[in-house]
Amino acid sequence: MAYEKPLPNPDENTQPFFDGLKEHRLLLQYFPSADHYQYPYSDRCYKDWSTDWEWRESAGNGEVYTWVRMHQLYHPSWKAEIPYTLAVVQLDEGPRMHTNLVNVPVEDVHVGLRVKVVFDDVTDEFTLPKFEPV
Amino acid sequence: MSDPIRGQTAICGLGITEMGKVYGHDASWFAGESIKLAIEDAGLQKDDIDGLLVNPGITGAFGTGISIPLQGYLGLRNLRLLNHMNSFGATASAMVQYAAFAVHHGMANYVACIFSDAPLQQGGSAGAAYGGAGRRGPSGMASLMPAFGFYGANTSYALAARRYMERYGVTNNDLGRVSVTQRRYAVDNPHATMRQPLTLEDYHNSRWIVEPFHLLDCCLVSNGAVCTIVTTAERARDLKSSPAYVWGMGQGHPGNFPHAEVEVGTTSGATIAGETAYRMAGVGPEDVDICEFYDCYTYTVLRTIEDYGLAKPGEAIGLYPEDPADPEAELPTINTGGGQLSSYYMWGMTPISEGVIQARGSGGERQIEKNDIVLCSGNGGTLDTHGTLILSPNAN
Repeated sequence: MAYEKPLPNPDENTQPFFDGLKEHRLLLQYFPSADHYQYPYSDRCYKDWSTDWEWRESAGNGEVYTWVRMHQLYHPSWKAEIPYTLAVVQLDEGPRMHTNLVNVPVEDVHVGLRVKVVFDDVTDEFTLPKFEPV
Repeated sequence: MSDPIRGQTAICGLGITEMGKVYGHDASWFAGESIKLAIEDAGLQKDDIDGLLVNPGITGAFGTGISIPLQGYLGLRNLRLLNHMNSFGATASAMVQYAAFAVHHGMANYVACIFSDAPLQQGGSAGAAYGGAGRRGPSGMASLMPAFGFYGANTSYALAARRYMERYGVTNNDLGRVSVTQRRYAVDNPHATMRQPLTLEDYHNSRWIVEPFHLLDCCLVSNGAVCTIVTTAERARDLKSSPAYVWGMGQGHPGNFPHAEVEVGTTSGATIAGETAYRMAGVGPEDVDICEFYDCYTYTVLRTIEDYGLAKPGEAIGLYPEDPADPEAELPTINTGGGQLSSYYMWGMTPISEGVIQARGSGGERQIEKNDIVLCSGNGGTLDTHGTLILSPNAN
């Protein structure tokens, strides 16, 4: 069955991030002068305003910072999944990511739950970084 | 020690239009109605208005909101102050603040501060009006949000609320106590859209939007406008309606970076804004009689109470009765008109309008007897921006 949910729409700056996902690598921007990982993409470090950075691979480990269960239907493609679990994951490198939790019953989800990234190849073209309990 | 500006300026006119599902008019029309009502309330003439500050609501993002052309629509000539302002839900207090500084220093005499919005369309849902309409699909990493299924402000606030609730053991029933309390006040507010009494059972039976939020945790969406006119205390004294004197003003904008070094959900800008406003007014949390807090969600009220130092972190719910539907239950003097949850959603003008009414003593059935210090908050983004006004019926 065709995948009908909204797909990412990479732009020039974020294409390497999405290419990384396809290779099952979670890339973060790393700004050496402030020793700072940043997500989502920005062309400037918000700590010291440096514009020198490189992509670095995240270890993909973190914990649930917060989470919700979505009951409201905003886009028809989610109809079969409602209610579904959304989370913000605090990566060990510092940045927080909005994501989906998978392979965990809702009654086990809580703030502080340790999780690791899993790569969901939703189409031939796109992979989404989701998280499951360690 | 207070600041010399305390009590030197006042809100001298208030205009509240019909609110809610009022169709067939755009935001400019509502703005026009609100300023008409406000000058009549103050006993002023159109030509007295020499300052105009405007804040569009969500229609500002759709291209149909009020902006600088409102001056031409209203035929206001030779203004000495004009601006379109936006710090989201904190804007209304910021408009009053900048107006107060302007009149205090003689830049203008009577500044009209207007919030107006008309997102509701006949036959469309409130959710569609706010959550989806007018939004283009994002690109770059922002496009991951719909790809994961994140949509709308309800989700961002539900995420913040969940963190707060798990940290302090606050339950859905606790959020329901806030919702039911505010509805009891709305019953007595003729401006309010939702005036049917509620029980905790009604709260629990209302459908989930984004868990932990039920429908009755979320604010209304309203068409309408509110205008406040700001002038000096000296001028306000001789006008038709009692002034609400401005004692304290403050802003606090923590910003919201998705990083471990920034806490989200258990803090807001009220801490910084409140500290500034208390200092200007020469008062503290113990002096506050009435609170009118920005209540986009039930949770926001609890968070705000704590950040103004009115309860310890996690303990704001202790100010609410176990069953606020019980007629014998004593209600906290917080959101005394029903707030955005039950009266009308005019961003930061909802708390300010009810604050003016309470400071004037014109709240009728819902009037709180002791009204010397009325603390009003505005809050925008996901707890990113914050504005404070402290109002009083007393000049000194």
